[in-house]
Amino acid sequence: MNWKLYRNELIVAVSLALMLSGLLYKNTQISSGAQEMLSNKHTVKEFRELIVLQKTWANKNISKKVDKLEKIVPSSKVKWSKKGKKLTAVYNGLDPKELNKLMTTILSMAVQIQELKINRNSSSYDVEFKCKW
Amino acid sequence: MSFLGNSKALLLAYSGMEKQSLSYSVNIMLSPQFYTLKKEKLPLKYLYQAKKIAPSLFDGFLEDTTKYEYFVYKEEEEWIFIAYDPEAISNFLLSKGIKPEQAAKIFFAQQASDSFTAPVLMGEKESLVSLNNTVVVIPRSAMQKNSKTLSFDDSFTPKTGVTLQGAHGSVLSKKQTVGLALFFTLFALMFFVEGWRYTNDSQSAHEEMQILLDEYPSLQSQYTRDSIAAKYTMIDKNERKKTDIVKTLAGMIFKGVKVSSFSMNEKVFKVDFICSDAKVVKRLIQLAKKSEFSSAKSMTGNVVHIEEKL
Repeated sequence: MNWKLYRNELIVAVSLALMLSGLLYKNTQISSGAQEMLSNKHTVKEFRELIVLQKTWANKNISKKVDKLEKIVPSSKVKWSKKGKKLTAVYNGLDPKELNKLMTTILSMAVQIQELKINRNSSSYDVEFKCKW
Repeated sequence: MSFLGNSKALLLAYSGMEKQSLSYSVNIMLSPQFYTLKKEKLPLKYLYQAKKIAPSLFDGFLEDTTKYEYFVYKEEEEWIFIAYDPEAISNFLLSKGIKPEQAAKIFFAQQASDSFTAPVLMGEKESLVSLNNTVVVIPRSAMQKNSKTLSFDDSFTPKTGVTLQGAHGSVLSKKQTVGLALFFTLFALMFFVEGWRYTNDSQSAHEEMQILLDEYPSLQSQYTRDSIAAKYTMIDKNERKKTDIVKTLAGMIFKGVKVSSFSMNEKVFKVDFICSDAKVVKRLIQLAKKSEFSSAKSMTGNVVHIEEKL
């Protein structure tokens, strides 16, 4: 048999074999890699969530941030008691603007609200706020 | 099947040759009777350029009805162009008992012009000679009597030759071959790239995980991870819920609605809204139900009371 007579068929057969091996390679990579990739991606996602949680709720700067709540309204309207990682603050006679400002600040802080009381007295508001972190 | 060099016997093919009976494949050297030769001094550098212009060089010399192929090579300063008809050659070989698949490689006598140092006899009437470096057929009568002749053997075998395609043997034409090979190769390339991308994706996730572990070594321990998750997930969930409730309640305040009292601890929240009239009460209760505060109810004095567990 003179193989050169069938050179064209041979070239096509070799390129076809190349394509099939490429397909096989791709499928092997998908089946073996997909499991590992999914597992890795899941772990990375889990890690990121834990890091975010830790950064939010174990932030060492929270104590400093909480101090803002004392100065957010005139000192005459605040009774401030901060012990360790616990705070009790009582606000009296806040106008609606001050109340809004106080509430926005409280809600933006990563603290655990233990108690929040708001009472309306004619046109002003009294607030009692207890939290820990 | 031999993939190594030209180790086959070389057979001189000429129109008056005897019928052969071969049980093996041979290389064939064609006499000038089977090809048309042109020598040109052209300012060409590459073989592909010479091959490209080959058909135009033979314009007017060859029959238009025949499908010629061209063999081109360079001999010192000159380009040698050989036009041949593969189908005619195949038919001739068949008529002499040589099947196309038995013709391993086809050479042209011109390629071995240097080997024709003396005439080579072609049957009883003709001989092959090299005149001015061109191999030609001359009648034996034109030769001097008792002049020295060469016997044709494998030493005349040139380095390169052609194979007969198309007419016999190969089912696929050159165009089809190139098309199919390109198609398959392109897909092969795509599959390999895609496969490589999957590997890369998997590796990048692994690398990302490694970077995070280097940055936060404490996360390497499953126990630590579980402990962090247990501690902070619940806090995060509860506090987000409280914040959302306060924001939703704040969103329920519109014209004619004021907060009378609000209290929230870790288990429950209560709120009383004072409304300007019964119409506002109704609207506020609808809004509360829409915000999924199902406990919203109207109290005396246009007050709406909501009390729910966290």
